[in-house]
Amino acid sequence: MVTYVLRRLLVAVPMLLGAMSIVFFAMRVLPGDPCVAMMGDQATSEALADCTRNLGLNRPLVVQYADYMWRSVQLDFGKSLRQGYPVSEYIGRMFPHTFILVMAAAVVAALVGIPVGIVSALKRRNPLIDYPLRIFALLGLSMPVFWLGILLLIFFSLRLNLFPLIGGGDLDGVISMIRTGEIFRYPGDFLAAVADVLHHLALPALALGFTLAATVSRLSRSAMLEVISQDYIRTARAKGQIERAVVYKHALRNMMVPLLTIIGLFVAIALTGTVLTETVFTRPGLGKMLVDAIGARDYPLAQGAITVFTMIIITVNLMVDMLYAAVDPRITYK
Amino acid sequence: MAIAREAGPRELAGVVVQAPRRPLGRLLRRYAPITLGILLAVAMIVIAAAAPLLAPLSPSAQFADAVLKGPGAVERHALGTDEFGRDILSRVIWGTRISLQVGLASVIFGFALGVPLGILAGVQGGRCETGIMRCADMLMAFPTLLLALIIVTALGGSLINEIVAIGVALTPNFVRLSRSLALTIREQDYIMAARAVGSGQLRVMALHVFPNALYALVVVATLYIATAIRTEASLSFLGLGIPPPTPSWGNILSEGRQYIKCCPWITTFSGLAIMLAVLAFNLTGDALRDLLDPRLRGE
Repeated sequence: MVTYVLRRLLVAVPMLLGAMSIVFFAMRVLPGDPCVAMMGDQATSEALADCTRNLGLNRPLVVQYADYMWRSVQLDFGKSLRQGYPVSEYIGRMFPHTFILVMAAAVVAALVGIPVGIVSALKRRNPLIDYPLRIFALLGLSMPVFWLGILLLIFFSLRLNLFPLIGGGDLDGVISMIRTGEIFRYPGDFLAAVADVLHHLALPALALGFTLAATVSRLSRSAMLEVISQDYIRTARAKGQIERAVVYKHALRNMMVPLLTIIGLFVAIALTGTVLTETVFTRPGLGKMLVDAIGARDYPLAQGAITVFTMIIITVNLMVDMLYAAVDPRITYK
Repeated sequence: MAIAREAGPRELAGVVVQAPRRPLGRLLRRYAPITLGILLAVAMIVIAAAAPLLAPLSPSAQFADAVLKGPGAVERHALGTDEFGRDILSRVIWGTRISLQVGLASVIFGFALGVPLGILAGVQGGRCETGIMRCADMLMAFPTLLLALIIVTALGGSLINEIVAIGVALTPNFVRLSRSLALTIREQDYIMAARAVGSGQLRVMALHVFPNALYALVVVATLYIATAIRTEASLSFLGLGIPPPTPSWGNILSEGRQYIKCCPWITTFSGLAIMLAVLAFNLTGDALRDLLDPRLRGE
């Protein structure tokens, strides 16, 4: 196990460094001078030279690269060109918003996707049940999250006036109340703030969760199909267990193991989804920050956001691999 | 036997050997998705090809007398108009071209780049395989949209850049798949036979490994067309794709976002078009996989 963990770490670290290098070179080497992009074509050559010097772009590329890599591993991504303060601070403020969105969407996806997948697998010979469920999964896969988001906004926010149209609620306030201990002094205020955050979170989580539920339901369907064709399920049936016991006691538990592997994939899809979801719902978060940074040509901010996204995905995949090794001892690693 | 002996030649001549009957429900269940998928995909291709004939108006023509009118509110605008008085139906029809162009071209790009590399990695093995696969793994660390977004940001938004960005983002998927197919195929007897008659590495890869991997690759490529169309729409929606006023579905949807309160039709029809296009290729790809993969038959 220890050797396996070490070996996976040895693979993950170069992968992370490679991904960070891709981000660096994409932003620096490919055509387009950040200073020209920021200041426009009308900028004087002195102003451009000044900007280039300030950003450190006049140094040799190798030096810039080494500097970027060294600072990135310490989570120091420089200062935002537009906002002026450190990128890591900005990312730190945005991260909780994205985190709760991904978590809430994961809950929606699991609550909808796993039962749909299981029922679809168990009732696959009954077209009246299997077909609508498979169509649901296909629609979820085909429906872009930003369109679903807009439809939800039109219906629930504009027509029914049930949910707010923009924003993410005062999550910073909630976090600071927890940090300062005000949660115990003013529990009423705290609950109201949490309710407000959840109120803002409901539609985005539903939109992102629904599109993710489609992927989860398809994967749970195939995981269930794989499990119920195993010999131990036949044995359970042969000894006369009722179907419900076969499903709950034997199939469900074993089905969850292959589902673990999709957590990595899930996080990757969810994080990409947050870029679109946060933009549609005008919610603060890493995804919206990335889009805004690209729009404003704020390269350090965009670079920092992409690097953090990649770090999260690689780290989650690494953790899933380790979890998988811990859960299923039959797997041998080479 | 007894019956056969008793029956005269005339009766026997009347016996028609019938193929075993398949219940209609089963046939429908098996072929309905692929039929629907192919119909939708063909419709999309026809609409894209015949856009100048099918679109009632020019997609960029502005009608000052019909700004933000709903579907059917003004006679010549069946699906309504946008904030500049442009006809939504015509823009959605022309948008089909962009989506299909990007969808097909980026998948061809990714296929052409990824498959040879994957087959080379699978057949050659060794350092060559390690090098190719590590690069692919590195790119795989980025989700498709994120990688396409990075490339498009660096290159700038245009049709070609979008195709290149999405194509590059899809490439590692093709590398991985074709490598795993090549690993299985290279162990087959016919590859050994080909080598025995003196075929070189390149000949084995091009004439034996590639054709045998082709059907699985085509199935997956069909599914990636759906991914490419969705990614294109997402990039355009984020304002990073083809710049306006070119009508792409993502652009129409993004522009219509500001008017969802008064004029939801702008976003509704463009979003519907994206969904149907993605659905078409998802259905076709899924059905092709089910039909061609014998392990899944009968499910």
